[in-house]
Amino acid sequence: MHRSANRVLVAIPAYNEEATIREVVRKVQESLPNFELLIINDGSLDATGQILQSLGTTTATHLCNLGYGRAIQTAIKYALEHDYDVLITLDADGQHHPQQVQELYRQSMSSEWDVLIGSRYVATRNYSQNPLGRRIGMQLFSLLVKLIAGHRIYDTTSGLKVIKRSVLVPLTHWHFVDFHAEAIVYLMRLGYRVGEYPITVAERKHGQSMYSVLSHFKYPLKTSLMVLLGIVEASLTKRKERK
Amino acid sequence: MTIQGIIVINLIGLMLLLWILNLVRRDRLYVGFGVILVLTILGVMFIVSIPALLTFVTRLVGAVFPASALTLLALGFIVFLLVYILTQLTLVANRLAALVQELALQQAKQEVERELGRTDDQL
Repeated sequence: MHRSANRVLVAIPAYNEEATIREVVRKVQESLPNFELLIINDGSLDATGQILQSLGTTTATHLCNLGYGRAIQTAIKYALEHDYDVLITLDADGQHHPQQVQELYRQSMSSEWDVLIGSRYVATRNYSQNPLGRRIGMQLFSLLVKLIAGHRIYDTTSGLKVIKRSVLVPLTHWHFVDFHAEAIVYLMRLGYRVGEYPITVAERKHGQSMYSVLSHFKYPLKTSLMVLLGIVEASLTKRKERK
Repeated sequence: MTIQGIIVINLIGLMLLLWILNLVRRDRLYVGFGVILVLTILGVMFIVSIPALLTFVTRLVGAVFPASALTLLALGFIVFLLVYILTQLTLVANRLAALVQELALQQAKQEVERELGRTDDQL
């Protein structure tokens, strides 16, 4: 087992994940015994909260649903307050294999990346398993990142990320929709290095995607706007730092 | 604008003013919003009451009739107010989110401290 000298926090945002959360927590605790675990219960209306209480895992409970972006923001605040060196974010739907997290972490530590994304597409470059609309959106955002930041990220929507402490503070300086393309562009424009490492994901067996029908229209618009504003914000931040 | 039109607009303006001032007095409307509304209503009443000023404003916005000019200004004001209200709403939502996050972080901190206390007891 890889012993970690760094303090590592694994943060899992969870919203109505009663069907999977127990299994996900068990797998993470088994596979990553040296890492500390924080579940962000984002105002779940089902039994997620009770399950987490019975498991005794450290939980930050939002009294109402604030959304994925805010849940990640809570994790970042927690990591900063408690002086963690690395933050790893993971989905609560059981799609990520905790065994792969260890490998991703190892890769991150032995490389220069400030953020290393567990990517479903960097190896295959094949988006065909997604519905058409989503496929187009993912490719567009991937190309947009390449166009703006000069380095293509194939999986901008992955929930599995290893984030080093160096970027935790910059991530609190601005606000993001879901910490996807807009956060990637913002960080890259600030000069931080964002990379990808191939992972595989399991199919979602329970629950629903956090993206509703309406959000399939809202998401690309909101993210595109934030990507553009991210360029401006990064330039202003850099100018401020120079002064 | 006819005398009747001026009187009607001023009467509506006065009623709105009384309503707004009463809402502010009873703490049902934030004084900052009240100021914006009162100043706008007074401005419209002032413009409408002075025919030369109304003609000037009509020419200034490129309208043919004074009523069109007033409608254009009213639309502009509504859009401004909408943006202003949405910014205030965003501000409140951000404050609420920060509060909810802070509560969650405090709760998580207490859980960790409780767990550490339990471990110390066992040792």
